[in-house]
Amino acid sequence: MDALLQNFFNFAVFRDVFPSLLRGLWTTIWLSLLVIPIGLVSGLVLALIATQARNRWLRIGIAIYVDFFRAFPPLVLLILIYFGSPFLGLEIPKLMAVAIGFMLNNSSYFSEVFRAGIEAVPKGQMEAARSTGLSKLQALTFVIVPQATRNVLPDLVGNCIEVVKLTTIASVVALPELLRAARDAQSLVYNPSPIVLAAALYLVLLWPAVRLLSRLEHRGRAVR
Amino acid sequence: MQAPILEIVGLKKSYKDNAVLRGIDLKIFPGQLVCVIGPSGSGKSTMLRCCNRLEEPTGGQVVVDGVHITNADTNLNKVRQGIGMVFQQFNLYPHLTVLGNVTLALRKVEGLPKFEAQERGRKALEKVGLMDKEVAFPEQLSGGQQQRVGIARAIALNPKVMLFDEPTSALDPELVGSVLNVMRQLGKSGITMLVVTHEMAFARAAADHVVFMDGGVIVEEGPPSQIFDSPTHERTRAFVSRYTQGH
Amino acid sequence: MSSASGFDQFIHTFFNVEIALLYLPEIASGAGVTILLSLAVVVTGLALGLALAVLRSLQAKPLNFFIVIYADVLRALPPLVVIIIFFFAFPFIGLSMSAFTATWLSLSLVLGAYAEESIWGAIVALPAGQTEAARSTGLSWWKTMLYVVLPQAFRMALPPLTNRVISITKNTALGSVVALGEILNKAQSASSNSGNPTPLILGAAMYLLIFLPVVIAARWLETRSSRAV
Repeated sequence: MDALLQNFFNFAVFRDVFPSLLRGLWTTIWLSLLVIPIGLVSGLVLALIATQARNRWLRIGIAIYVDFFRAFPPLVLLILIYFGSPFLGLEIPKLMAVAIGFMLNNSSYFSEVFRAGIEAVPKGQMEAARSTGLSKLQALTFVIVPQATRNVLPDLVGNCIEVVKLTTIASVVALPELLRAARDAQSLVYNPSPIVLAAALYLVLLWPAVRLLSRLEHRGRAVR
Repeated sequence: MQAPILEIVGLKKSYKDNAVLRGIDLKIFPGQLVCVIGPSGSGKSTMLRCCNRLEEPTGGQVVVDGVHITNADTNLNKVRQGIGMVFQQFNLYPHLTVLGNVTLALRKVEGLPKFEAQERGRKALEKVGLMDKEVAFPEQLSGGQQQRVGIARAIALNPKVMLFDEPTSALDPELVGSVLNVMRQLGKSGITMLVVTHEMAFARAAADHVVFMDGGVIVEEGPPSQIFDSPTHERTRAFVSRYTQGH
Repeated sequence: MSSASGFDQFIHTFFNVEIALLYLPEIASGAGVTILLSLAVVVTGLALGLALAVLRSLQAKPLNFFIVIYADVLRALPPLVVIIIFFFAFPFIGLSMSAFTATWLSLSLVLGAYAEESIWGAIVALPAGQTEAARSTGLSWWKTMLYVVLPQAFRMALPPLTNRVISITKNTALGSVVALGEILNKAQSASSNSGNPTPLILGAAMYLLIFLPVVIAARWLETRSSRAV
């Protein structure tokens, strides 16, 4: 028991490493705020093209893109971009490699979510909107997409939570987010308490979102 | 002689090798309430949906107020502002209020400012007797009320002709009457209406002109007294007798 | 000496056949680890989730409390953090474990949390009439669970679960961070040894070979079950 407290919940260590962990947390937060909107927007655009495009090859192309990046582990993608790019003669900064990797990965997940939502909107909605003279773009903007988003709100929230958790892979390319800060601190003080503290910070950050997600999922089911 | 407000000329529609419409010619004059009756599969709804090109005709033409809407270069969105449609499944937007449903096209297509759009919307709601429901959401309304909102949404645009696609077929029997009453009043107020329906009593009482369709063609058309009481064709007689006997 | 053409150089750098063949055995062994680990995680994770969901149906308040805490915590924590804790922190209290064990344990616990939530959600969503009918014909609580509730709940939970299983098994790549000899780890060391990124490409191809069929199968499964509904 003593060993547990000394090693995992060492308050002296907590106090010492807290500032640097806080800086790491801040990096995690703004990194998330950067990549989530990019994923959402690109995912929505892809889903719209996939569901509305008349060109069969375009739809197939998007399905291939989506399946490809759903099958590709994000960490591998990141490593490939970051360590492979110098061989192309490109010096990609860490942040950009992370952003690109995340965009490719997230856009495919979000596009699948949005696609399901769009397909769940009854066909009659588009007909009604068009019958009143709304253009296709207007119908999508004011009638279809709002309903599609509502349909898949739990999945969207769930995916956003996944993205925040995914930021930990940036620690592998030494981006100074929370996990990297914790591991660096751990090797400095030779005590794993920083990691426990980091875990606690992740919980503080994400537990409310997970609770919200559970509530959304159950509410959705009740309506159906 | 007035010019027809809606004219269908040689309309054909096939899906692969299934010919649903085999050549329809029909003239509808301003202010008329025309009912289209016929067995399921006769092509009634398809014909109606060709009139605002929700279905694309494979042959023939549709002319609305002198505009050949079946031409490839017509501005379809603009044309549809002049044609109102009421759907069997209502198709109200669930994420908007009643007033929101009615004013969406007014704001986004006609470009009216919010205040004006709402005034026009309220007038339309008044015509269908639902002024007190403007902030309700569709899921809070009964089927009959939802359909009346659907009607209000269509007439708010002041269309030249109103198309009704089996407007009461999805309603519980006790709610059908409220919708038919609204439709009858609209007819009396001079709006041109083309109604596909199974409600024979309504057709008989309210229509100026009745069209009987079967197998993708118009078999017979004429005033209600002709179609229901003294039909010329045997198929018309057979169809109509099934309904008049039961009731 | 390769030709001066840029394209040739690109191929020589990223798709170098010599180097690929040289390191293929190593990376293939990594693939074996990836596959083995994935299968192990899927089996234990789903079994854990199922067991917890059934326990939750017993409606015992104190037990439920812990199950809910577990599910929330393991869904909120990034998997990599869990792996790091098991591999780097636990030795400090005398519990060392191999990289394989740490990764397997972590991912199973995470999958278990998601599986419990999905299955429990499906159990709750099942109409009460189902259990009423079963019990009224004399089936015991346990038999009702086994023959009526769980089969239906599992079918309902399948779509979100298949997606979740795919993500979790891809997370086996995280094992490379604690030096587990799976594909990424092997590919990275081969790459730095040879000073050439071809092994990384080979590793990526290996992952795709394993996971693309799974993703496509999941997509097919999803369309089939939605049609059946």
